[in-house]
Amino acid sequence: MKVIEKSPTVQERRKAALVPRASLVRWAIIVAIVAVLEFTTRTGMVSQSLMVPPSEILIRLAEIVPTDRFGQDVARTLTTILVSFTIGLVLGVPLGIFLWRVPAAGRILEPFIVTGYAMPTLLFYPVLLAVMGLNAGPIIVIAASMSLIPIALTTMVALNAIKPILHKLANSVSASPRQYYLKVLFPAATPLIFPGVKLGFIYAVIGTVAMEFILASQGVGFRAGFYYRELNTADMWAYIAVVIVLSVLVNGVLTWLEKRIRRDML
Amino acid sequence: MSQIFPIDTVGHDSDVVFDNIGMTFGTKTGVTQAVANVSGVIPEGKFVSVIGPSGCGKSTLLDMVGGLLKPTKGTVSINGETVTGPRRDTAMVFQEDSTLHWRTVLDNVAFGLEVKGVPKADRYESARRMIELVGLSGFEDHRPGQLSGGMKQRVAIARALAMEPRVLLMDEPFGALDQQTRQFIGRELLRIWEKTRNRVLFITHDIQEAVYLSDEVWVMSARPSVVKEVVTIDLPRPRPEGTHTLPRFRELEDHLWELVKVEAEKTLGPGARLA
Ligand SMILES: Nc1ncnc2c1ncn2[C@@H]1O[C@H](COP(=O)(O)OP(=O)(O)O)[C@@H](O)[C@H]1O
Ligand SMILES: [Mg+2]
Repeated sequence: MKVIEKSPTVQERRKAALVPRASLVRWAIIVAIVAVLEFTTRTGMVSQSLMVPPSEILIRLAEIVPTDRFGQDVARTLTTILVSFTIGLVLGVPLGIFLWRVPAAGRILEPFIVTGYAMPTLLFYPVLLAVMGLNAGPIIVIAASMSLIPIALTTMVALNAIKPILHKLANSVSASPRQYYLKVLFPAATPLIFPGVKLGFIYAVIGTVAMEFILASQGVGFRAGFYYRELNTADMWAYIAVVIVLSVLVNGVLTWLEKRIRRDML
Repeated sequence: MSQIFPIDTVGHDSDVVFDNIGMTFGTKTGVTQAVANVSGVIPEGKFVSVIGPSGCGKSTLLDMVGGLLKPTKGTVSINGETVTGPRRDTAMVFQEDSTLHWRTVLDNVAFGLEVKGVPKADRYESARRMIELVGLSGFEDHRPGQLSGGMKQRVAIARALAMEPRVLLMDEPFGALDQQTRQFIGRELLRIWEKTRNRVLFITHDIQEAVYLSDEVWVMSARPSVVKEVVTIDLPRPRPEGTHTLPRFRELEDHLWELVKVEAEKTLGPGARLA
């Protein structure tokens, strides 16, 4: 029998050759945007009450970052995100399994879940604040419930997408339910669940920062909102820049993780 | 050359015995009687193939032996024990790709043993032996995504063989492969089987393949199905490459084709081809 090893196609090679150029272009775009912002704000084409020149944001950041308060804000925001996401994961995956195992429940509950997805959950924030007080609690409730929905839905979809032949195989070798879950179902579903987990994390970030922005006592989002209301545009943008950097970092880590999982599992 | 299968055949304790089994599926639209009545014996060391028109219940029959389906009528027994669920001494190979894409070839082949609780060193040793047997040496660390369809089916066969089954159940294992590959793997399977001589129940829709591999070919009727005829393949073993050109091979092939054509026409109308 001829041994056929998949070698990269011409297209794949061309794509690979494009990668360094693509990231170069991406950096060029970022530099161009910053340059345009710098120019338009300095010349007064954009009012300094809306946006300050990026160079000034950098200077403000250099002053803000070393302060204790900044460290506390970042720590608070990151822990809130992590706690929310962890709750989303711990509740979302079993919920997804339940919706898959009990299709009738899936059919009944799906509209609620999809509505929860579409609904501006933040409307419940004032109620939660009244009940739980001004602390991380209400933010975690909102961010966690935003986070668990995509996780639960993709878990259900991923499990439904598993080929019946894998069930048949597990059955034919007399796998126990535990072995079936651990050795077949989860590994088979993980690459499909991962995009949902990633989305869940992003929702946790959005939920946390947005609620902090509305009302909180600490956190990066709170600080951006605070300076917004104080009309302190430079500091507001400094904190927005922090949020952007955090998001890019987190997304980078998740993308790297996803690639690894795909490489090891596909 | 062929005989009407004696319905009251009684097997030995070590055989696979079908005792008037039938399977009726309840569906939303009513009931489907897939298998009407099958009786028969797969004696120790024999290779039995089943052919019949598409949808006649071949897979259903195999799944009942494998313990994946419980017959609604009659019993299947192996070594004198009624089959009530998947057994440790049977192993199955399916038509579809059933490799676990996140596992290496080695871990795929060792999967059955791993589930059985065989220690790592032992199961890897057996798995490596089986990988060599099916001609996949050097691919132990590859993943299914890097293999061709024929190689994936070898992985599935190696996984089944590694479990050292006393009964090997194969449901159109080469069905998705091209003609050349399936002939090649067919010869390999025979070479391996000559060594192990376990009982094989082999489902196929390829008459030539059935004749080449088997000691007996069971021809199933259209649904609701019975075994219409058992054709004994009296070709000497081992069967070298030129076996297909023997006059006796052609005779058996023609005879089976006649039997099958009648059934295919029943399901699909005159002039229909076997699925
Ligand atoms: N789980 C099931 N529920 C209902 N009908 C089924 C089921 N499995 C098989 N059948 C029906 O039983 C018949 C035989 O199926 P099968 O054994 O797969 O045939 P074959 O393998 O010979 O092509 C078909 O008509 C099929 O539709
Ligand atoms: Mg079938």
